[in-house]
Amino acid sequence: MNSLKLSRELALRIGLAARALPDTDARRLLNVLSTCVTEPMTDSKIAAIELDAFKNANDGEFAAVDDSVLQQALNILKNAAPEKVLPAVQAYRDGDLPGSVRIACASDDGIHVNGHFGACSWFMIYQVSSDEARLIDIRTAEIPEGLVVDDKNVFRAEQIQDCKVLYVASVGGPAAAKIVRFGIHPMKLAAIESLADVIAQLQTVIAGTPPPWLAKAMGIEAGERFRFEREASG
Amino acid sequence: MALYIVEADCISCGDCEPVCPTNSITEGPIVFKIDKKTCTECEGDFDVPQCVKVCPIDNCILPLPA
Repeated sequence: MNSLKLSRELALRIGLAARALPDTDARRLLNVLSTCVTEPMTDSKIAAIELDAFKNANDGEFAAVDDSVLQQALNILKNAAPEKVLPAVQAYRDGDLPGSVRIACASDDGIHVNGHFGACSWFMIYQVSSDEARLIDIRTAEIPEGLVVDDKNVFRAEQIQDCKVLYVASVGGPAAAKIVRFGIHPMKLAAIESLADVIAQLQTVIAGTPPPWLAKAMGIEAGERFRFEREASG
Repeated sequence: MALYIVEADCISCGDCEPVCPTNSITEGPIVFKIDKKTCTECEGDFDVPQCVKVCPIDNCILPLPA
């Protein structure tokens, strides 16, 4: 390890890439990388590392890490243009998931809910029931060229108006009011969380006793809501 | 002469609780609730009911039918 000679830029990129990986510091990543390539470590050898090799390196140290996260780290290592790796959209028809709710998540990387409502790259649209969640659409909110839009935030809200809940990392006050006007419930997360975590939390809520406003948004009848109420108070 | 919170619409944000001049709003088992015995609709304290003013949801806090 001590004999490793790294260029300044490569060392910096290893540090940055380590930050993109869960529970990884530069030393750990360097350790894994040193099993992938022969010394001395150079830009061209790093650039030749493939995703599979990286995943299986050092007896599969990063095997449990999501492919898209690994790809992101590799992109940083290779100084490649951030190739946006978006998850695949799954087929969905109305009625496929009974007792589900459609949600939108503002995201800039397709992995975390880290987008600002007015500026995020994508709205990830999920249909979520207590035991299943499908990514049914990925929508950009970029205004098509030539189209004149009075209010950018209204336009963005229109793109997701079939959703009942919107998760964002941040949203302005007036924009939130416009979102509410579309019957969408905006939820600002206290900290940036992964899409998977947010969905898992929502599933726990749906499986338990959903708050009345959510039950109403999901179309659960008032009579059934009453049952929830008695269970909760009783 | 009192207000009530529409249970199906309340999101339990809690914004109304601290602004009530008569401390009539508390968190119930489901959502927040207003004690109709002590709610004055802010008469004598403010021009408009403070909970209605701060509530982010439209038509969520309404007057109880007489």
